[in-house]
Amino acid sequence: MNPTIPRIFVFLLVVLGVYLWIGYSITALTGGGGDDTAVVDITPEGGETIYWGKGRCFTCHSVGGQGSAVRGPNHGQFGEKFPQPMGARAIERAAERSAKEGVEFTAVDYIVESMASPGAYIVEGYKNEMAVVYAPPISLELKEIKAVVAYLMALGGDLDMEAIDTNPSDVTAGLYSKISAAAEAGGGDPEEGIIVYEDNCQECHMLNDDGGGEIGPDLTGIAAIGLDGLSEAILAPAKAMTEGYETHVVKNKEGRQFIGLKTRDEDGEVDITNALGDVETLDKADIETISVDDTVSIMPDDIAEVITVKEYQDLLSFLMLQKPVEEQ
Amino acid sequence: MTDQDQKQSFAFSPPSLSGSKTLLPVLVGLFLLLAALPAAAQDENVYRQFLGLDSRRLVWFLAQMHLFFGAFVLGVPLFAVTIEIAGWTNGDDKFDKLAYEFTSLLSVAYATTAALGGLLAFALFTLYPTFMGYMAGIFKDVMFIYALLFFGETFCLYLYYYGWKWLKKGEPFPPLSRWIFKALALVVGAFGIALLAGWVGPDMRTDTRWFMFLLYILPIAVGLWIIRGRKTMHIFIGILLNVFGTAIMQLANSWAGFMMSPTGVDGNGVFVGTVWQAFENILATPIAIHRMLGNLAFGGLVAGSYAAVKFISSQTQEERAHYDWMGYISNLVAIVALIPLPFAGYYLGREVYSTSAVMGNNMMGGDFSWTFIIQAMLVGSLFLISNYYLWSGMTRIPGAQRYYKFIKWILLAIILSLAVWLTPHNLPLSSREVGEMGGSQYHPVLKFLGLMPAKNAVVNLIILATFFSFLLYRRGNMENSVSVRKQGNGARLTIIIVGALAIAIVAQYAWVMLRLDPAELDLPADRVGYIRTIGWALVVQCGVGVIAILLALIDRGKLGQGLYLASTALNVTGFLGVYGFVVMEKASPVLRNVAVSQFLQLISCLILVGVIDAFLFRRAKSLGAMQWGKMTTRSQYALLLLTFVITMNMGLMGFIRSGLRGDWHIFGVMRDTSDWAATPTNFVMTQQVSAAVLLFMIGCAFMFWLGGIAAKGGEEK
Repeated sequence: MNPTIPRIFVFLLVVLGVYLWIGYSITALTGGGGDDTAVVDITPEGGETIYWGKGRCFTCHSVGGQGSAVRGPNHGQFGEKFPQPMGARAIERAAERSAKEGVEFTAVDYIVESMASPGAYIVEGYKNEMAVVYAPPISLELKEIKAVVAYLMALGGDLDMEAIDTNPSDVTAGLYSKISAAAEAGGGDPEEGIIVYEDNCQECHMLNDDGGGEIGPDLTGIAAIGLDGLSEAILAPAKAMTEGYETHVVKNKEGRQFIGLKTRDEDGEVDITNALGDVETLDKADIETISVDDTVSIMPDDIAEVITVKEYQDLLSFLMLQKPVEEQ
Repeated sequence: MTDQDQKQSFAFSPPSLSGSKTLLPVLVGLFLLLAALPAAAQDENVYRQFLGLDSRRLVWFLAQMHLFFGAFVLGVPLFAVTIEIAGWTNGDDKFDKLAYEFTSLLSVAYATTAALGGLLAFALFTLYPTFMGYMAGIFKDVMFIYALLFFGETFCLYLYYYGWKWLKKGEPFPPLSRWIFKALALVVGAFGIALLAGWVGPDMRTDTRWFMFLLYILPIAVGLWIIRGRKTMHIFIGILLNVFGTAIMQLANSWAGFMMSPTGVDGNGVFVGTVWQAFENILATPIAIHRMLGNLAFGGLVAGSYAAVKFISSQTQEERAHYDWMGYISNLVAIVALIPLPFAGYYLGREVYSTSAVMGNNMMGGDFSWTFIIQAMLVGSLFLISNYYLWSGMTRIPGAQRYYKFIKWILLAIILSLAVWLTPHNLPLSSREVGEMGGSQYHPVLKFLGLMPAKNAVVNLIILATFFSFLLYRRGNMENSVSVRKQGNGARLTIIIVGALAIAIVAQYAWVMLRLDPAELDLPADRVGYIRTIGWALVVQCGVGVIAILLALIDRGKLGQGLYLASTALNVTGFLGVYGFVVMEKASPVLRNVAVSQFLQLISCLILVGVIDAFLFRRAKSLGAMQWGKMTTRSQYALLLLTFVITMNMGLMGFIRSGLRGDWHIFGVMRDTSDWAATPTNFVMTQQVSAAVLLFMIGCAFMFWLGGIAAKGGEEK
C-alpha cells in the first residue's frame, strides 16, 4: 500500500482533532444548546430568563457589562452614554413622552411602549429597527412581555407589579390590547397595517367615518368577525359576502351585461356600481334578467399577490384592533 | 423532528437524483405522492425515528455528505470547461489533458452524490412527513423540473466525459451549420438583453435576473457562437453541463431559501401566492451566489488535494511536474473564487438581516456569534495557507527571489489581521477576572478590536495582501514590465474601459453617500457630516484611480498600481477602519455604509490593478521557464490542509445557515415541535462536521483511486 495515504489520514485526524477541541472549548466556555422555551412567571427573574433566552433581547442589547451587543441601547448603566440603568432611565423618558404626547406616561408605560411600538421613541443615535417581539419568530406572549418589563424596571427603577400586571394604566392597557390583537393576527404591526389599509382598502371601505369609499361594507367594528372571518373576507371575499353587498349580474335587452353592487332600486331604475365605483343607471324596463351571483365578489381576490405576507399580517393586526364601539 | 435537522440538514439540499437512473423514478414517485397530500403549516407535525437514531442528526449528516459530493460535482465542471477553453484558445494540449483529468474525477462522485441524494430524500420524507408534505405541496412544480434537469445534466456529463476524444478533432462543420449556431446565439443573446432590460420577467429580482443572465444565458450564447467544429461542440456540451448543474443547485436553493424567508404564504402558512414567488424568495439567489463561489473554491481545492496526493506519491520528475502544475491551477481557481466569497457572504448576510433582524442578530450576536469566531479562524487559515502555497511556489520561479523580501511583511499583515479578526468583543469571565479588569467584561484595549469596524478593516487587508502575493507570484520570472503604449490602442482602450468601470463602482456609491438624507437612516440632520465624509473619501479614491489609469497609459503602470493599492489600503483599512469607530459612537446606522464603501473600494482595486498588471507584463522577457515539480512536500500538505479546512468550513457555514431558523422548520410559518428543536452547541456541530469530513475524505480517496485505475487503463490502451 502506498504509505502516502495513511500519512495523509493521520494528518487529517490531527486537523479534525484540533477542530473538535475548539468546538469543545468554546462550548465549555459559552454553554448553549439548551431549550429556552421554559414557562416563566411575571417576575424580574422570569423576565431575565426571557431577555437572555427566548426573547433574543441580548442579540441587540447589553445590560451594563453583561453581553456584548451594541445594535440597540444598553439597558444597564454603561459609560457616559447611559449613566442610568433602564429602570431609572425610563422615568426620564416617560416625562419626555408625556410632554410630547400630552398624556401622562409612567416609567412602565414607556417600557411597554418601547416593546409594543418601538418606533414611537427612537433613542438618539439608533435606528428604528427593533423586531416585533410578539410576532414570529420571537412570538413572545403577553405574559412573557410583562416579565421582561418587570426585569427592566428592576434595573434601577421602582418595581410596581400592579402597574405591570394586574392594574395597568390606560396607556399600558391600550398597548397590551394592541399586543394581544397583533399576536392573535400572526404578529403583524398594526401601525404598519394602517398604511396597508390606506393603500389597498380605503378606496372602497369606510372605517370610523374616515372618509373612505362606500362601495364595500363599512368596516367599523370589523374585529367582531374574528381572525378567521377577516382572513376569509380578505383572501376569499366571495365566500364571506356581507348582506347587502351581493354581486348582481344584470343583462339588458340589448344583451349587455353589468356586474356590480345594486346600490339603488327605486323609481323604476336600478343602479349597478362596479368595482371601480362607476355607477350605471338602468331602466327596469330595459332589463332582461337580474340575478345574484354568490360565487363572485366585486372585491378583488388577488390581494395576496399584491401585498407581502408581512403586510398581510400588519393589515390583519390593524383590523383586529377595530373593535365594536361598545368594546372600545 | 427537528426542524433543525431539516435546517441543518439543508434538508434542503437537494435530494439529488443525479446519476443513478434507478433512483429517479422512485423519487419522482415520492414527490408525486407527497405533492398529492399537502400538509398545512398549522397541522400537528409528525416526527419519526429510524432505529432509534436522532432524526435531526441523521438528516443533518446525510445532507452534509450529499452537499460535499454535490459541491464537488458542481464545482469541478466549472473550471474543467474553463481550462478546456484555455487550452483550445492557446492551442496547448496540456490544458486539454488537465481538463480531462479533472473531469475523470467526476463520474464516481456523480453517482455517489445521487445515491446520497436518494438516501437524504428518503430520510426526509419518512422522518419528517408533515414538513416535507408541506414543502412538496408548494414546490411540486419546481420539484418536477428539478428531477427533469437531472436527465439533462446526466446526458451532458456522460457525453462530455465519454465523448472527449471522439469530439477532440475533426473537420470543421459546414458553413451553413455554423451560421445556424451563430443565429441561435444571437437569439439567445437577444433574450438575455430583454431579460436584463426587464422586458422579460419585469417583476424579477435584480440579483436573480443577473444570476440567470451571467450563468445561463450568456454562457449558452457564447457557447453557440464559438461552435465551429467538434471541439467547440464539446466545449458547448461542457457549458450546458454547467448550466444544468447550476440550475439544479438554484432550484434546490430556492427550497432552502424558502425555509428561511418564506414568500407567498399567509401567517398560517397557507400558500396564497404563486410558485414563482415561492421560488424567488428573498434569500434564494443570495444563497445561490454564495454557494456558486463556494462550490468553485471547494471543487478547486478537492481537485488540488488529488494533485497533492499524486505529487507526494510520484516516482518520476515528469509526474511531479505534472501534478505540481495541476495543484497550482487548482489553487489558483480556489483563490479566484475565495477572493469574492466574503463579498457574497456579506451580501447574503445583509439579505438575512433584511429578511429578519432577529435572524440577522442571532447570526452575528446570538447563538452563532462564537460559531462565526470559528469560521473566522477557518477562513483566515484558508487565506494564510493559500498565501503560503503561493510563496512556496515562488521557489520554482527563476527570478522570484527578488520578491522574497516582501513575504515577511505580507505575512506580518496577515497574521496581525487574523489576530484582530479573531479577537472577541468580550469573553465570559469569572467574577475575579471581571474584578481584575476594573469591573468590566471588556478589555480596555482589545475590546475595540472585537467590534465590526476593526473586523471590516482587517478582512479587507487580508484580501489585499493575498492579491499582492498573487501579483508577486505572477511577475516572478518576468524581467521587467513592458510598454503599454507599444501594445497599441487595444491595450490602452481596455485599460481605460475596465479602469473606468472599476472607478464607476466607487463613484456610484460616492454619489449615493453625497446625497443620502440622514432621515432615511433615522438620524437627525446634524449627523449628515458622517455620511458625507464617506462620500468625499470615495471621491478622493476615484481621483487616485484616474491618476493610476493615466500613469499606466504613459508607461508608469507600476507607479499607478502602487498608488491605487496604497490608497485603497490607506482608505479602507486606515481611514475608514478608524472612522468606523467614530461612526459607531455617533451615528451607528451609518456603519453599514462604511462597510459597503470598504468592500467596493477593494473590488475596484482588484479590477483596476489587475487590468494594468495584465498589460504591464504581457509577453515580458522571461528570466527562465517555470520549474514545475520543484516544490517541497510540505507545500503539498498545505494544499491538503486547504481542502480539509474548506470542507470543515462548508459544514460549519451550513450549520449556521440552517440553524439560523431557530426552532422553525419554515421561519415564522411552521414551527419545529420535535424534541430536537433547540439549536445544538458548537461542540455538537464540530462532531457532526468532523464525522462528515472524515467520511467524505475517505470517499475522495476511493474516488481518486478509481480515477487512477481508469487513467492507468486508458494509458495502457
